[in-house]
Amino acid sequence: MGEDSTTAEHEVKSSASTTIFSTFGKKDTKEIEIVKFDSVDYSHPSGVAALVNVSLSITRGEFVAVLGTNGAGKSTLVRHINGLLKPTHGTVSVFGESTRERTSAFLSRGVGMVFQNANNQLFAQTVRQELEFALKNFGFDRQTIQDRVEWALNTFSLKEYVDKPPMELSGGEKKRLCIALVLAWDPEILILDEPTVGQDYEQKALLGQIIMKLLGEGKTVMVVTHDVEFIWPLQPRVILMSQGRIIADGSSQEILGNPAVLSKGDVLPPQLVELSRLLGWKNYYPKDVFEAESRIIEQRYNIRVPDRKET
Amino acid sequence: MTSDEPLIRVKDLSFKYLGTTRRVLDSVNIEIFPKEIVLVAGHSGSGKSTLLRALNGLIPHHHAGDYEGSVVIDGLTVANTAMSELARKVGYIFQNPDNQIFMFTVERDIAFGLENLRVPPPEIRKSVDTIMDSLGIRHLALRPPHELSDGQKQRVAIAGVIAMRPKILILDEPTSLLDPFTASSMIGLVSDLRERFGMTILIVEHRLDLILRIVTRMIILDRGRVVFNDAPRAILSEVDVGRYGVTEPAIVRLAKLMGLGDNNIPIDPGSMAHRLELASS
Amino acid sequence: MQWIASGFLFSRGQTVVHRLDPRVRLALAIALFVVSLASHSIVELIGIIALILALVSVAKILRRFSRSMVFTAAITLIAFVIYYFVSSPLNALTFALRLLAVIASTSVFFLTTTPDELEHMMRWMKIPSDFVMIFVIAVRFVPVILLDSIQIMDAQRSRGLELDKGNFIQRIRNTIPVLVPLIAASLNRSLDLAEAMDSRAYGAYPRPTSLYIMKLSLSDWLVFSLIVIGTAFGLYIALFVHLL
Repeated sequence: MGEDSTTAEHEVKSSASTTIFSTFGKKDTKEIEIVKFDSVDYSHPSGVAALVNVSLSITRGEFVAVLGTNGAGKSTLVRHINGLLKPTHGTVSVFGESTRERTSAFLSRGVGMVFQNANNQLFAQTVRQELEFALKNFGFDRQTIQDRVEWALNTFSLKEYVDKPPMELSGGEKKRLCIALVLAWDPEILILDEPTVGQDYEQKALLGQIIMKLLGEGKTVMVVTHDVEFIWPLQPRVILMSQGRIIADGSSQEILGNPAVLSKGDVLPPQLVELSRLLGWKNYYPKDVFEAESRIIEQRYNIRVPDRKET
Repeated sequence: MTSDEPLIRVKDLSFKYLGTTRRVLDSVNIEIFPKEIVLVAGHSGSGKSTLLRALNGLIPHHHAGDYEGSVVIDGLTVANTAMSELARKVGYIFQNPDNQIFMFTVERDIAFGLENLRVPPPEIRKSVDTIMDSLGIRHLALRPPHELSDGQKQRVAIAGVIAMRPKILILDEPTSLLDPFTASSMIGLVSDLRERFGMTILIVEHRLDLILRIVTRMIILDRGRVVFNDAPRAILSEVDVGRYGVTEPAIVRLAKLMGLGDNNIPIDPGSMAHRLELASS
Repeated sequence: MQWIASGFLFSRGQTVVHRLDPRVRLALAIALFVVSLASHSIVELIGIIALILALVSVAKILRRFSRSMVFTAAITLIAFVIYYFVSSPLNALTFALRLLAVIASTSVFFLTTTPDELEHMMRWMKIPSDFVMIFVIAVRFVPVILLDSIQIMDAQRSRGLELDKGNFIQRIRNTIPVLVPLIAASLNRSLDLAEAMDSRAYGAYPRPTSLYIMKLSLSDWLVFSLIVIGTAFGLYIALFVHLL
């Protein structure tokens, strides 16, 4: 694999972490395949098949949503990316390397995962220590750790809790802390497992902003979710799973706009899509209420609008 | 349909948990009538769960604190009535399905409440069987809870609670852990219960899109106070509920944007399409 | 992920042994236990062990039984060796056999009795409801706690914690990020459970009724009589008859 990355663009965090991934820093190279599943099967030790013949490719900077009912295999799929699970057959490659010989602690340096249940990992005596935990594990130097913790505290409005025990935070604050502690080590790929569960409106809005910001920075973001209403305006690439298989893989317009496909995955379409279909719109489904309003007005006044392609 | 005596009367209720300084509930006044389906919404931390707990007696009997005002449920004053008495009137479904199923098998857990009330065993058997049939979980009777899916666990929890034939059913964020499909069927089940057993339902939920179609009244709490208490359409047409932590369905947002926010505001795509068709003709 | 917990304690057999009233099985276990303890005779002890093995075969739990006895066998071997040098070979053998018999008799009981039956017996023995619930909930949540611990380990691995490497001291240190959330989750769980139990009228009466009723059938009484006779016989031999 490659040695030190030569393009200076990507900030070098510490000597412990630069030599790991060969594609780090190569921002000028387009279309890098950052995650690849090659005919992957996964069965639980009990024999139950959880992933069946899964093949997919994710390029750097993509925004991907994984949809499907509980038990469809969404969480199982993403746990292969940070190495928590290893395929029974087939290969999963991350940053060009197979995950098979790597521990998930190692892979997590580049693949950060925010879990659904915030409580199941907080253990430190202060929020500061909680934020430092991963940074220490990954071998960052003292100064960098301090900088990154400061950044996290400020960005996620946690400064007032810095010396408090994480257990004392409210549910929403704990969830914020969990996102903060992952972003603190600045992974290339961020995976969010059911991030909107139990979140109120403002918390979800903040989440959406964080995702867009990360995408703007060139990060790759994956969201495992049921919440079609949440992701629809963000228009990610959609991977629909059912019973361990990928049954559809395409744009939000193609997949979430196709009730036949969705019903095979037992997924309900977003309200704006349902409305669009009822009003007879076909080629483009408005991603938010403003686009919907424009379209309705155009339709009402019979303005001829050229068939919109997805943006 | 609804009689004129409120089933639940909350009068000037204020509550502060022991050892804290902030009032979690502040002079709350609410009346709830039989067979209503009431949605309680608000920010995380607005007092929703506390209010629900004040209705089944967990407050003040299980959680100590400064309690002012009164809550009267079907003639019983909560503060003066033992929880075991109140359990016959009010059933509470908690958010985490696992943490409310205690026994080794499904049917034994459903029987739990009846056993506590010293119902004779043959009657328990009959009730348990009937309820399992109503909820479609008869085939799970002897299964241990850890083998069930979340949706199934939720049903078992509901079964265990309605076995005691309460008049009021409280559900604390019942669908948050479920996927929309399962959540939809759960909501259908709840609506069914109200029809079949004449129950009054209170639900706390953040997401409105699935639940709005069955809700008859909406109460929004903000920092322990009731800020809105009215029919859902009336509130949605007037108020930007997002400010109170509530996620408005996209259709509602669209309707308001297009000036269709009146008392007949559409809440789902069907009614919206209908409304638009009317407007254009 | 439920494979881990399936089959855990919840195997309900259908053999003759399983279908006995649990109280009769308890009597059987106590009988074997008491006679083994009283006996000094190698022949008798071998007889008892043979009887236990016969029961194990009838109950079709041979594999689980052997697995549960592995640890005991090791201890027994050590005890045998110690006794051999401290005392006589004969005493060593007697002691070893006695140890095996005593533990095997309790093992048979627990392997053929479901937690449900245990709970019913505890109530029948008039053990206070609170203690019975402690037992029930502890057992009911073992699979849940196992699953929780796996989730926690996964979460901490994802923060760079190498759980599968390191020397002894490192490994001990690494248990803290796993144990603390686990204990916190368990504590929170117990708070939730307390609320839920109160909300379902727990404690309304000190002696609740039960969905299941334990009734002794004819075969139960027959077996019980056999046990009583067998115990009397066994004790007679143990105490009054000199047998090797």
